[in-house]
Amino acid sequence: MSKEENLIRKPGEIVFSIFLTVFSVTAFWQAFAISGFTGLSTAGIFPMLASLAMIVCSLIITKDVFAKQPHKMSGFASSLNEILPITLIYMIVLISAYLLAMPIIGFVFSSAAFLFLSFSILWKKPIWLSALLAIFSLAIIYFIFRTIFQVVLPQGSLIQGSILQGQF
Amino acid sequence: MDILSNLVLSWGDPWLIFLTAAGTLAGIYVGAIPGLSVTMATSILISFTFKWQVNEALALIVGVFMGGVYGGSRTAILLNIPGAPSAIATAIEGYPMAQKGEAGEAIGLTTIMSVFGGFVGIIALALFAPVISNFAIMFNSRDYLLLGLIGILLVGTLSGESFAKGAFAGALGVLIGMVGLDPMTAEGRFTFGSVTLMGGIPYVAAMIGFFGVAEGLVQLHNLDLPAVKQKIDRIIPKFSDVKKHFWLAMRASGIGTIIGALPGTGGDIAALLAYDDAKRMTKNPEVPFGEGAKEGLIAPEAANNAAVGGSFIPMLTLGIPGDAVTAVIIGALFIHGLKPGPLLLIETPHLFWFIVGNLALANIFLLIFGLSGIKVFTKIVECPKAILIPLIFVLSAVGTYAIQNNPSHVYWMLGFGVFGYFLKTYNYQVGPVILGVILGPMMDSNYRRAMIGARGDVGTFFWDFVSHPISLILSIAFLLMMISQTPLWPFLKRIIGRQGKQT
Repeated sequence: MSKEENLIRKPGEIVFSIFLTVFSVTAFWQAFAISGFTGLSTAGIFPMLASLAMIVCSLIITKDVFAKQPHKMSGFASSLNEILPITLIYMIVLISAYLLAMPIIGFVFSSAAFLFLSFSILWKKPIWLSALLAIFSLAIIYFIFRTIFQVVLPQGSLIQGSILQGQF
Repeated sequence: MDILSNLVLSWGDPWLIFLTAAGTLAGIYVGAIPGLSVTMATSILISFTFKWQVNEALALIVGVFMGGVYGGSRTAILLNIPGAPSAIATAIEGYPMAQKGEAGEAIGLTTIMSVFGGFVGIIALALFAPVISNFAIMFNSRDYLLLGLIGILLVGTLSGESFAKGAFAGALGVLIGMVGLDPMTAEGRFTFGSVTLMGGIPYVAAMIGFFGVAEGLVQLHNLDLPAVKQKIDRIIPKFSDVKKHFWLAMRASGIGTIIGALPGTGGDIAALLAYDDAKRMTKNPEVPFGEGAKEGLIAPEAANNAAVGGSFIPMLTLGIPGDAVTAVIIGALFIHGLKPGPLLLIETPHLFWFIVGNLALANIFLLIFGLSGIKVFTKIVECPKAILIPLIFVLSAVGTYAIQNNPSHVYWMLGFGVFGYFLKTYNYQVGPVILGVILGPMMDSNYRRAMIGARGDVGTFFWDFVSHPISLILSIAFLLMMISQTPLWPFLKRIIGRQGKQT
């Protein structure tokens, strides 16, 4: 990142630095609630010191952000696209769905679906190739983790463990 | 004679040689795969080696440790994802080298210097274990507090655009580390009445989130860029390079060994300190720092492998782990009925010398595997990002899940991943956050112990920082860092200047 780019404010940078400031103040308030100023070696002192440092830093950061030149992006949509492009939103939604589905349908099926869907969104190759790659890479991951590292992977509450063990 | 026979015990037994080799190779890949930590691999290994003989278990674990510390540098160089926190500094210089097509040279140099550092650490372990333990035993609570603060400040100033952002990230990490039941009084901190939060925020989930998921999300911006084709033509580094940087590597190894030997501080801090030292000591680098300076690659890599030998010193002589991995290894020794501590060297000296010899063997395997497997390894880099990114997400999920088989940890991972994405987008460093998470609880308890030691009197508390030699040296180091790295100095100069004009 060059110095010139650093002088130009990114879309959403003000919002983010204000968010961090508010977060720091909330953290300080919560840290104060632990034990207040009742002593110098209480449980709340160090969290208060840490959040105080956060408040000071975030105020300096916010001041610096306001000193920067505004970005040249026009309109909310293009600004949003710069920071959160549509592919990124897709992926975040997809990962969330994957992690939520994992305890229900198990590691194998959720990972297979996740890999297939994300390969087909990102890779832009024929569907069958994405499917093949998803199965192939999943098989390797499963072998390494289940067989070599013996990690217990979620089998899913919907599917009986015995069926899965029979398959692999 | 006894010492010698124990030292080379694993060198003559084919089975022990095989276990060490397998451990080292596995360690390199575990260390290299983002989201898989050496700590995790060691804990899993312990769970199924506890029925083995202690020598066999140790051979495998020592190999994984040695290989894993080195392996983190591979992905740091090739993908800009440090496979382990000890490779954060490596990524700063290694990745720009890879972008310039010098990945092979970077990996070759890293390997040689890691092995070099590894040997320095092992020799130090063998020679200075009793001496250094005498030194470390004098460390007080306030010294640990200062070490923690220096560590966080160092990582905060490393490469960020502003000191405020680095310090903010460090403090945020400390705060994350505070969540849960206070270990001293069992009061809830930031738990909001939730039972899940009482156990604290799982820091491995935070680490995988910040380094795995957030990095994957950032990389989505570069999806259409052609994959970096790495021409790995030069794996054996130029002899002139090795010769030229010999003393730098020696210095870095020294730093690494000492930092590794300090309880609680391991390869992570060693690498960052050595990087910072190299940055200040190198007057005219061929390539500026941050753009692929070899000096900035050699120093952290020599240091973090030297810290492996160093971290065994407090563990074997005092029973205090030098870092997270040695903390796990202590558990393994307990399982095998051994008592790490001051008596270990007296009661079971053969074990001490076996570990020293085994570390040396693992280091030799590191050299062999490090210089031979690169071509296969770099295929990962030539793999298109569209394939790599989803795989990173799956590996991150598995890695997080593997630690405690707790599905809630993967949600933490995702949350930290998305938050980390925004931090990275707005040029915040995530390294200091992780360091804060790890060092925060240590600093908190040491601060409070020091304060209780001073009977709650602020005057006595601060007087202690300057009235003991070790504390005084650390306090001066801390103050120098504060003054040189923050806007405090220009600010003070302005005030002094203004007063000068007025009078």
